[in-house]
Amino acid sequence: MTRHDIPWLSAAETAVAIKMKQVSPVEVVQAYLARIERFDGQLHAYITVMRDEALAAARQAEQTMLRGGDLGPLFGVPVAVKDQFWTRGILTTNGSRVYRDFVPDADATVITRLQQAGTILLGKLNLSELAMGGTQEPPWGIPRNPWDLERTPGESSSGSGVALAAHLCAASVGEDTGGSGRGPASYCSVVGLRPTFTRVSRYGMTPMCWYLDTAAPMTGTVQDCALILGAIAGYDPRDPFTSRRPVPDYTARFGRDLQGIRIGLLRELDDDAGMHPEVKQAIHNAVEVLRQQGAEVREVSMPLVALAGAIFVGVADTEGAGARDDILRTRAAELDRASRTRLQAAALVPAKVYNRALKARVLLRQQFLEALRHVDVLVSATAPAPPPKHTALTAPFVDADDVRSRFFFRRAYTGCYALTALPAISIPCGFTTDNLPIGLQLGVRPFAEELLLGVAHAYEQATPWHTRRAPGIAGEC
Amino acid sequence: MLTMQEGVMALSKAEQCVELARLVGIPLMEGEVAEVAERFESLMRELERLTQLDLTHIQPVLVFPEEEA
Repeated sequence: MTRHDIPWLSAAETAVAIKMKQVSPVEVVQAYLARIERFDGQLHAYITVMRDEALAAARQAEQTMLRGGDLGPLFGVPVAVKDQFWTRGILTTNGSRVYRDFVPDADATVITRLQQAGTILLGKLNLSELAMGGTQEPPWGIPRNPWDLERTPGESSSGSGVALAAHLCAASVGEDTGGSGRGPASYCSVVGLRPTFTRVSRYGMTPMCWYLDTAAPMTGTVQDCALILGAIAGYDPRDPFTSRRPVPDYTARFGRDLQGIRIGLLRELDDDAGMHPEVKQAIHNAVEVLRQQGAEVREVSMPLVALAGAIFVGVADTEGAGARDDILRTRAAELDRASRTRLQAAALVPAKVYNRALKARVLLRQQFLEALRHVDVLVSATAPAPPPKHTALTAPFVDADDVRSRFFFRRAYTGCYALTALPAISIPCGFTTDNLPIGLQLGVRPFAEELLLGVAHAYEQATPWHTRRAPGIAGEC
Repeated sequence: MLTMQEGVMALSKAEQCVELARLVGIPLMEGEVAEVAERFESLMRELERLTQLDLTHIQPVLVFPEEEA
């Protein structure tokens, strides 16, 4: 194996190669740093590259290997995280000029647990401002989608999607408020998981929305996703909402077929008139793959999904404005204009309207839990269309219908799982004729991530999509 | 003499936003009031769709109880 082969390994394969002494942790880190140096000036995946810290950690890992012992399935794997997670002594910008000098004095629990698992932190990844989406002038550059540099990689964990698609890290942890992890995963043809709300500690993850934010493992493969979730999940006394349930082996269902698994195609999203025809076809093809593996497929209707976009903005934008109250009062001028006006508008929403959205959220949860009594896994597209051009995101709205289709209803796809606090995953399921990625979203009942990852793995192993490389970034470094 | 409600009704969308922002203590930037007003109007119009739901007996919940799982 040469240095040039290293970045094309999955995280799990990298750890095995290190364990087998085919490569050293220092060689692995150097290989990724070389790719970051070569490609990131164009892609803008990283805000901070922790070159010296990563090399020091790699040298430390080599000492650990010399001492022997169980190295674990992620030992020596270079990871990068969304710059929303606090890193002690390292700049944590939250993608905003407001935080341009913020250096935390503590690590987020996710960071601590990644380090305990033996991973090596390569750096902090770009994101849209305050993990909101819609930033017009990102302070650390516009993240470029490796599949088409003129197109968005998705928001808000943009850098995670870009870095994985361009093989600038072996695995990542983003954050998902209403699709901020799954959206970029779909647009960049990688894997993105939103766990059950209380499964992973949020301590040290700057809040976008108090009651919707989750850490989001983002990886190149489903196996890597299962390993990252296993590393970061579990009770944390510093986050009182975290569950005390034991953390299972999330790879336990790998290798099994789908006999007996009931799949429900979510009608309200599948019938979306605005869905791109090639996305719809890809989802139907994916459902057929699941059926061929033994799953029983039926259609499921949840009428409230049609209102999920409205419920989502009613909860998320309003809470987001609340979480940013200090900034809106004293430092609003430092925000990007789009973030500022969106938060200011949300801050004006009356409590009565916010409460109505909270109540509707409960109703939506009831519909999902009822549906999940009759099927095991819900299926839909992650996004109704392939990644749009950057310019399309900043174009003026034509009318109220345009606002609805571009800003509100599309949030129903991923927002419904955030609102209902259910786990969901986006995995690659094809490409358009323009070679743009398409994502398949699967959702399950609370704490059923083991099932979710098992079904996702079965689909992934039956299809070639995760093996395709983005054009222009495959060169040696 | 106008009642308070009539007075509010007489304000333009932008003026209503400025007044609401003043009440919640958030200064709006000169030149952006119309944009905030447009965003607020589209947000409220979208949220208006939730009035079609019967939510009479629903209690709002911030974090769902684990027993439901």
